[in-house]
Amino acid sequence: MTEALTEPIDVLIQLQDLDCLIRDMRDPEMASQQERLGFALEDIQALERTRERLAGQVENQRLLQIYERMSRRFVRAIVPVEGRVCTGCRMSLPTSNPTRQADAATCDVCENCGRILYRR
Amino acid sequence: MSSATLPATSRTTFLEEYLQPTLFIPELQSKRKAPAMEELVAQLAAAHRTRHPARVLEAVLRRESMGITGLGKGIAVPHARSTLVTERTVVFARSKKGIDYGATDGKPAQLLFLLVAPPLERDPVYLNLMAEIVGAVRLARTRQRLLDAPDFKTFRRILVEATRD
Repeated sequence: MTEALTEPIDVLIQLQDLDCLIRDMRDPEMASQQERLGFALEDIQALERTRERLAGQVENQRLLQIYERMSRRFVRAIVPVEGRVCTGCRMSLPTSNPTRQADAATCDVCENCGRILYRR
Repeated sequence: MSSATLPATSRTTFLEEYLQPTLFIPELQSKRKAPAMEELVAQLAAAHRTRHPARVLEAVLRRESMGITGLGKGIAVPHARSTLVTERTVVFARSKKGIDYGATDGKPAQLLFLLVAPPLERDPVYLNLMAEIVGAVRLARTRQRLLDAPDFKTFRRILVEATRD
């Protein structure tokens, strides 16, 4: 089954995946092991340009700031909610008010760890 | 020893638990690289490992744009880490005619292994899986046996044996 993601979440997830790739390429151990296996890695600057372009697509600057701040703390700044559990910190979200609004109309954040949440 | 090179035991390999019949494509329909990638990712969705194949495909192609994952000798191991996959997964696929993959030796890819995993802080298994796949198909004889395997069960047995060698 294919499902659509809401726009800010969609762009933030793409940003997170891109950040993961950039981090992997910059990680000397990861990069050297990949090269040893025969996988060439090149042109990290192109990735950084793509990142800049993607970040520019996030209209809500406050949401982007939350993402940037959380991604400095955690590998995954945006995580799915499973049941009522934040899969970033594994804490249950309160029943009555499950999440704190990061932005009134768009995304929620975990009250415990501050990660941006989305429903799968 | 580095955490990224943890050895598998002699009894089990990292790879064997990822060898699932629902993640096996005996013969890819596509003959070109981009549609073949789409087929591989579609299999992920069919096996309920993602609900967002288009985004996962994008992550795979983005990694590909950073350096071709065709290793030559008819082998390709496209890989990516994506927030939108539920767990580490390997899709195994064959193409008798081969896919023009752009490998340095110019040989078309006949055995393709798509490895995807969610982004995690430390994931030595991701690299170990990659290493096991590359190691398992290093011999021409093994590659031919994998191409000739009549069914998934045989394919699995050959690959697991080759990983243990």
